[in-house]
Amino acid sequence: MGGDAFEVTVNLVKMAVIFLMMVQMVPILVWAERRGSAFIQNRFGPNRVGPLGLTQLLADAVKFIMKEEFVPGKATALLFYAAPVVALIPAALSLAAIPYSVPVHVEAFGEYGPYVFNIQGYEAGLGILFILSVSSLGAYSILMAGYGSANKYSLMGALRASAQMVSYELALSLSVIGVVLIYGTLNLSEIIKLQEGVKFGLPNWGILYQPLGFVLFFSCAFAECNRLPFDLSEAEGELVAGFHTEYGGFKMLLFFMGEYGHMMVASCLATIFYFGGYNIPYCTPTEVLQILETKFASSTVASLLTSLVFLISFLIKVGFFLWLFIWVRWTLPRFRYDQLMNLGWKKMLPWSLFNLILTAAAMLILKG
Amino acid sequence: MPNLSVIANVGLGHYLVLAAIIFCIGIIGVLLRKNIIVMMMSIELMLNAVNLTFVSLSHFMGSAAGQIAVFFIMTIAAAEAAVGLALVVLIFKKYGEVNIKIFERLKG
Amino acid sequence: MFSSYDIVFYLLALFALFSAFGVVTSASPIYSAFFLVLAMMDIACLFVMLGAFFIAGVQLIVYAGAVVVLFVMVLMLFNLHQETEAFSRGTISGMAKLGVTGLLCGILATTLFHFASTAKTIAAEIGPEESTEKLAKLLFSDYLFGFEAISILILVVAVGAVALSQLKGGTHAKS
Repeated sequence: MGGDAFEVTVNLVKMAVIFLMMVQMVPILVWAERRGSAFIQNRFGPNRVGPLGLTQLLADAVKFIMKEEFVPGKATALLFYAAPVVALIPAALSLAAIPYSVPVHVEAFGEYGPYVFNIQGYEAGLGILFILSVSSLGAYSILMAGYGSANKYSLMGALRASAQMVSYELALSLSVIGVVLIYGTLNLSEIIKLQEGVKFGLPNWGILYQPLGFVLFFSCAFAECNRLPFDLSEAEGELVAGFHTEYGGFKMLLFFMGEYGHMMVASCLATIFYFGGYNIPYCTPTEVLQILETKFASSTVASLLTSLVFLISFLIKVGFFLWLFIWVRWTLPRFRYDQLMNLGWKKMLPWSLFNLILTAAAMLILKG
Repeated sequence: MPNLSVIANVGLGHYLVLAAIIFCIGIIGVLLRKNIIVMMMSIELMLNAVNLTFVSLSHFMGSAAGQIAVFFIMTIAAAEAAVGLALVVLIFKKYGEVNIKIFERLKG
Repeated sequence: MFSSYDIVFYLLALFALFSAFGVVTSASPIYSAFFLVLAMMDIACLFVMLGAFFIAGVQLIVYAGAVVVLFVMVLMLFNLHQETEAFSRGTISGMAKLGVTGLLCGILATTLFHFASTAKTIAAEIGPEESTEKLAKLLFSDYLFGFEAISILILVVAVGAVALSQLKGGTHAKS
């Protein structure tokens, strides 16, 4: 990140755009969830409000904003108001550190020099470590919500949810370390660049080297986002609605946005580590750039179009994983809390350690 | 008119003074508060101040050994917090509150 | 005269002092815990300013993301709201404690500042990848014994904490 005013402005605008993108993806995701779940359950979903029910979420958003804003009588007002806002922060910061596409090379015009424009909020040198650190701060919004509500069920739900998040972070981090071992770098753009090309006729993606790691990573991502089958803390029937029992209206919407934001981060990370990021199988960014450069006179436009092509490829892959989140939610039953903790500590943690040892041994034998 | 250039050009001295002040605030916390958990949090604050000292010295002396020391200190602080909190839970089970005035006299 | 580095440092330093003050003087322990989280995040930012990116990440993951979460969970289980006697009784002893600590702080600050202005220092630029690799190489070669000892320590602490929570009371317990 440069120090002069131009760079700072560009970065601020990019961060604002990425935050708004996260907020605007939520209606689309909720629509997909409601229609998709309806088709899985053999019924229609919302299909009255717009074409295919697409503006149902617009109506819902207006309803949420117009609702009465209340605070429970005995609640700690500061924590109660702060919790939904804090729920958005880890997801927004993580989304800003993810590379969405090939950087755009703007060539010099006039006296302004050539410039490289990253399709990324900021280039974090320690990409994945930064994302893991801010994700681990997500436990606080749950604790603040649970405690600030002055409600026994909220408190129990909050304690369970935060214990679950902290437990599954371990297995998540260990499975990520397997990927870092193979690619030798923490930087996300480098990991994507190292997944170009073809190996044994298949695309040279991370899943070829770390299949067990992918299964562990994706399962732990479910637990991190408090999604079924790990959403005991939000279950109706057990704990009313867990830590967001006392929330209604716009604050509830902010919690939803935080949850979907975490889902987006998990899907983006799964794509980057195990499915090649923005790479399209069987072709490399330089090839695509060369093809486009022969068609367009200006290399800036060619670079921009290459970037766009790879952005669409990335979004397709991320969309597939988000659909997988939704699909699993409406397919599997929920874990009981002791089964959940048992799974996290006694099964996922040993398996991720085994994955790590196997990866390290394989790297030593093949490379050492 | 005192020399203002001591404030500008932030260097090693400024980081060390900040760490010393945070350390002393932690000491005040341990001395003045009577809730065990707040005392343990003040101890964590003191450990953080020491971490800051190590990292700033490591940066300005160009040696990475300071960061290794920080690594070890963080691990030990986490372990100590875990054991301390387990003991606090036992105390709460027995006495019903965690104010140190209940067991200032070592008895039974 | 003031570069942007100085301004950012002073902002972070003021916020760190404010958070530390909040930890020590909050009446409710839960507010103290949240001030502690703020202080830890602030110190992680100071680590980033000093170029120790990996240590900043570890500080956020371990300290702010696990240790303080543990504190907050224990506090919420105990459900402590306002304390009847949050601070030590006795104004004279309180003043004495403050005075002695202030004296210690003054001595430390002046000595360290004097040391820093006369010591031979270099500001080496350690980039993010370099710092992680350098740390790893040092950790696994020169400090290998300490590393292994710490892993055994963590194992002992984990087993010990679980054992403590299942304690039935020792030799003098009423059964």
